[in-house]
Amino acid sequence: MSEAATLALREQFATPRQQRETASIGMWVFVVSEMMIFSALFVGFAVYRLSSPHPFDIGSGEMELTLGSINTVLLICSSFTMALAVYNAESGNQRWLVLFLLITMFLGSLFLGIKLTEYYDHFRDHKVPALWFHYAGSSAGKVQMFFIFYFIMTGLHVIHLVVGLGLLLVMVVRSLVGAFSPEYHTPILMTGVYWSFVDVIWIFLYAIFYVPGFHIK
Amino acid sequence: MNTHLVSLRSYVLTWLALLGLTVLTILIGFANLGQFSVLIAVSIAAVQASLLAAVYMHALFGPTLVRVIVAGGIVWFLFFLTQTLGDYMTRGWVPFPGK
Repeated sequence: MSEAATLALREQFATPRQQRETASIGMWVFVVSEMMIFSALFVGFAVYRLSSPHPFDIGSGEMELTLGSINTVLLICSSFTMALAVYNAESGNQRWLVLFLLITMFLGSLFLGIKLTEYYDHFRDHKVPALWFHYAGSSAGKVQMFFIFYFIMTGLHVIHLVVGLGLLLVMVVRSLVGAFSPEYHTPILMTGVYWSFVDVIWIFLYAIFYVPGFHIK
Repeated sequence: MNTHLVSLRSYVLTWLALLGLTVLTILIGFANLGQFSVLIAVSIAAVQASLLAAVYMHALFGPTLVRVIVAGGIVWFLFFLTQTLGDYMTRGWVPFPGK
């Protein structure tokens, strides 16, 4: 066993592999518990959507479809670059690891910028529920309900994305000081799991909030 | 130790599949399938999520217990969804007095 592996191995574990797998199991318990938080919102949305489909379609028609689609592609590409960062961490290619982590951060930041632009557009169009909402047609209350779900769910997603960007920044700094090696790069693996989870949630948000709006515009 | 959990080829193919499925989702949106468009879009999203979890999140290549945890989460979610919708969708079926 190399010196790096010995240093990376905590005393309660027999092998680096056992340590990595324990971290992986812990991370997945966390991811599934996060999934349960979002599940409550997805099921709530399903109940309201099934009871008032037309007002929810109207709400989807107010979405910025191009920006939403670009954001989906951006997050998918960022998951790919994160996977490449993991690949290079396994190989011990420090430079490529840092580069792919930075590209992932850049794509995540672009997503965040576009999302904030969308929020600004909704504010400008008087589509902020309770505070700044105006809809002239019938079923205004149900259209507003769509936007309540939209802001809570995408807002919670944005919070997760910002946490992910913070984690990536920590990984960049730790990579630069040489904290990772082919023997020990578990934090990079776990950051990758978290970042892809953020992507998974967005893919479902895109399907329920944006897709019904395509044939309305 | 210089082993990779997943090959570079698998990462690239997964990326292309995810992008292809996103294009398919957009086409479904334009196809005007009524309420079915959401249902199909969510189904495609489920396939994309499975790809991400299996390859990019290494669920397919990690310890067996990870797959048990994921399966537990999915079963719990489906139970939650079907029981809740089953309740809400059938409330008007039986005319209880005073309801």
